[in-house]
Formats: sequence, C-alpha cells, structure tokens
Amino acid sequence: MEANTAKFICRCQEITEEEIYKAIEDGATTIKGIKDRTEATMGLCQGRTCRRLIERMLPASGEPSRERYSCRPPVRTVKIGDLLKDESSKGEFE
Amino acid sequence: MSSVDAVVIGGGVIGCAVAYNLAKAGVSVAIVERDDICAGTSAACDTAIHLQSKSPGLHLRMAQESIKLFPELQKDFDEDIHFKKTGTMIAIQTREQNEVMRVFAERQRNNGLDVVILDRAAAVEKQPMMKGDLVGATYCTADATIHPQFLTKGYFQAAKKYGAKAMLHTNVENIALKDGHVASVITNRGNIQCKYVVNACGAYAPFIGKLTGLDIPIAPRRGQIVVTEPMPKFTHTIVNCARYIAAKFRPDLLGTSEADRMGIGLSLTQTERGNLLIGGTREFVGYDTRTTQKALLYILQHAANILPALKDIHIIRTFAGLRPFTPDGLPILGNVPGIEGFVMAAGHEGDGLALSAITGRLITEIICEKQSAYDFDLTKLSLERYKNLDIKAFEAQYAVYK
Repeated sequence: MEANTAKFICRCQEITEEEIYKAIEDGATTIKGIKDRTEATMGLCQGRTCRRLIERMLPASGEPSRERYSCRPPVRTVKIGDLLKDESSKGEFE
Repeated sequence: MSSVDAVVIGGGVIGCAVAYNLAKAGVSVAIVERDDICAGTSAACDTAIHLQSKSPGLHLRMAQESIKLFPELQKDFDEDIHFKKTGTMIAIQTREQNEVMRVFAERQRNNGLDVVILDRAAAVEKQPMMKGDLVGATYCTADATIHPQFLTKGYFQAAKKYGAKAMLHTNVENIALKDGHVASVITNRGNIQCKYVVNACGAYAPFIGKLTGLDIPIAPRRGQIVVTEPMPKFTHTIVNCARYIAAKFRPDLLGTSEADRMGIGLSLTQTERGNLLIGGTREFVGYDTRTTQKALLYILQHAANILPALKDIHIIRTFAGLRPFTPDGLPILGNVPGIEGFVMAAGHEGDGLALSAITGRLITEIICEKQSAYDFDLTKLSLERYKNLDIKAFEAQYAVYK
C-alpha cells in the first residue's frame, strides 16, 4: 500500500502512517510491536486516539490476546505530589 | 528443513546483538523469537548505560569496552539509537552509605573509572534539582543513556541487512542433538538444521536450557518503573542513589522494612522526548510483570525525597520488567559442558543494554573460534562456574517458577 508521509497517526509523538507501515514491514503484528519500533502510543494520551487507527492498519495475523496491557490511556494524569499526599508510604524513608 | 550455521533464540537486545555480530562476520544466522523483538525486558527498562553500577573488575571492564562500541554501531545502523554521554550522580543519604560508596568509588577509580565523591553543597551545585535528603553524591561523566527499543531494533535491522533470517512469532519446541552436538532446532514453524544454538532468552533462558537437560541458574527479578509527562531537561545526568547500588549487589546492607525487601532504589533517566523514567524495585516474584501500588508509591516517595521538584510533575504510565538475575551478578556467556554447539548469552540482569555490544562480539569470537580481541577470563562467565550450585535450592530461593 502506498503510504502518505503527510498523515500523522500518533499526534502526541508525531508518528506518520509511513513509519507505521515500515514497522509492519519489519515484522510488527501488534500495537506493542508498532510502539517499540516507532514510539507511537507513548505520548501524553498513551494511545487514546491512535490505538484504534493503528489496530486497523495491522495485518490480520495479529494476536489480540497479547494486546490487553499495551495501551492504558490515563483518565487523567496525576501529579506525583498528589499521589504522595495521604499515603502510608510516607515515613518509610523519613 | 531450512539450514543455517547458527540459530539465535531470543529477540531481545542480547539476541539481536549476537545475531548482528554473527551476520556481520559472515555466519549464516536465524533469529528465532516466540513473540516479537523487544517483547520482554528490552522494552521494560530505563535508558541507562551505567558504568558506575558495575562491580569493579571483570564486570566493569566489560562495560567499559562495550560502551566504546556504541558510536561505531550508530554508524552502521539506520536507526538513531540516541546514544549520549550524560554521566551519573549517585545520591548518598547516610554516613554509612558514604563509607560504602567511598570504598566502591575507590575500587572503581583503580579500575580506570573516574568517580569523585562530592559533599552535599557541591552535589546540589552540580545538580540543583537534587536538594532533598542527601549528605553527598558521587559524580562520574562516563555513563550514558540510550534508546532501548531503538538499540534493539538497530541490531535487528542491521542483522537482517547482513543476511540474518528473522523468524518472529516462532516458538522453539525442542533442540535436537546428535552425538552430543547440536543438530537442529524444532519450532512450530518447521525445523532448522544448525551447528550452533545461542540461548539469548534472558529471564526465560532456563526454559531453553531444560530442552537439552541443562540447569541454568537465572531467576526473573522484577523492576517497576514510573513514566512521567515529557519535561524540559530535568537533570543533566542520570540520578541514582546508594540504595540502588546496595539493592543490586548487597541487599543484605538494606534494612528489613517492606520497601527494603522490595529493593527500592532510585534510578532516574530522561528520554529524548523528555519523559522521566523513575525506578525502581528489585523483587523476586517469579514471572509476574504486574506493577503494585505499594511499590510505585515507595519509588515515588523515595525519588521525591532526593529530588523534591518531582512532586509537581505528572505521571502517565507505570510498567514492570523482569531482569535476568544470576547468583554472582555476572552474565552466563559461552560454551557449555557436554553439549557441543550450545552457547549461552543470558543473565545480564539490568546490564543488558550496556553489555549488549560486547556480548555480541564475544559470542561471535567464540562461534567463529577466533582469537579474542579482549583479555577477559571467560571461565568466570561460563555456565560451568555453577556446577556445584544446588539448582533446586536456587529455584526455590528466587521464586523461579512462582
């Protein structure tokens, strides 16, 4: 398939359709395979948008069972300070 | 049945590095990987190429030779592997740690690694973000960072360029021997006749060993890591803490609290994209790659104690990887007793990225029966060094099949 270099699939990381197809040519059959080869889905939204687009581009032989954990878009990002505010981990290192 | 000189089992950074070096040396080679490249540890780690975290002696010397090879590899790869000399500072938080690190640094200096120890004021001046709970820090400029997946992909693609055959999503079911010599690898996609098999399966290497009746003392050691949003340059070096070094080499020096038992120690690197990778743990929990809330909070609390500015940064992801642990912290490389043509290249624990380049060279020298360009004592890396080890006790102690 002719890839259009102007098409961005992963907007966070600015990964193009051409790069995704190159990864597939290199042997990727899963979202994780694409991710490791291109950094797609690794941006701020963690694949919320591009995951579905990439899934449609993958060859049919992909093994969906492996895919359960490779995309985990956060509902919203959390500040480290907020996570530590009221947790029992405090004191462990103090 | 297809036929090659060597089958490399495992498509992680070590297997791809070995296949690359073999193919470049003119050996016909196939990489057989049950999943995909970087499916395991090689994509579940941070970006550090550490010299300071290597034990002075053979371990450090191998890393020193290995790190010299990355600029050359970059020239041969199409992929940008993001190799960068950044240096490392190791935060020291107590006077006891200071004494241990002083001795460790002195031994490293005697091995040609230029590590200095700074007092608190000098450490904070050098790394303004590090103004939390510390009494001082080590500083060394020799450490570097790299892109783990792109390094693995770089080896993989260059291996294919030199003629290596890639067999992804291919499961090794058995290894056939003939007269005590490797004869073929049996997979779910056909048999491959070969003279050599390289076991580069990292934490999973014991399973491949079992196919030929070999006991391989490698245990999965889980490391959990937190990923933050992309940031402008946060620290200009990798940042570790003395607990990290203790957790790696001398867990007995840690206390007995829950965090101590998890082997919590700081490892902070920053990717080219700006994400901070904040680790980590060293846990023996079998092949469980889940993250745990407890450990992640301990990691973040400990990191924020050293680098208070972290509290204002958002996290976007967490993950865990399995480091292939060996009893003495050194990888298992080279021929094995009793099975001609079976070659080990596994057990690098958290040093796989750093040692991948030298491992590829050494294994290729062994298979090509070439005089080594290095003067390493390979008997210290051989599987045979464990011949008196009680494998059942090892598997039980380190939860190998949990």
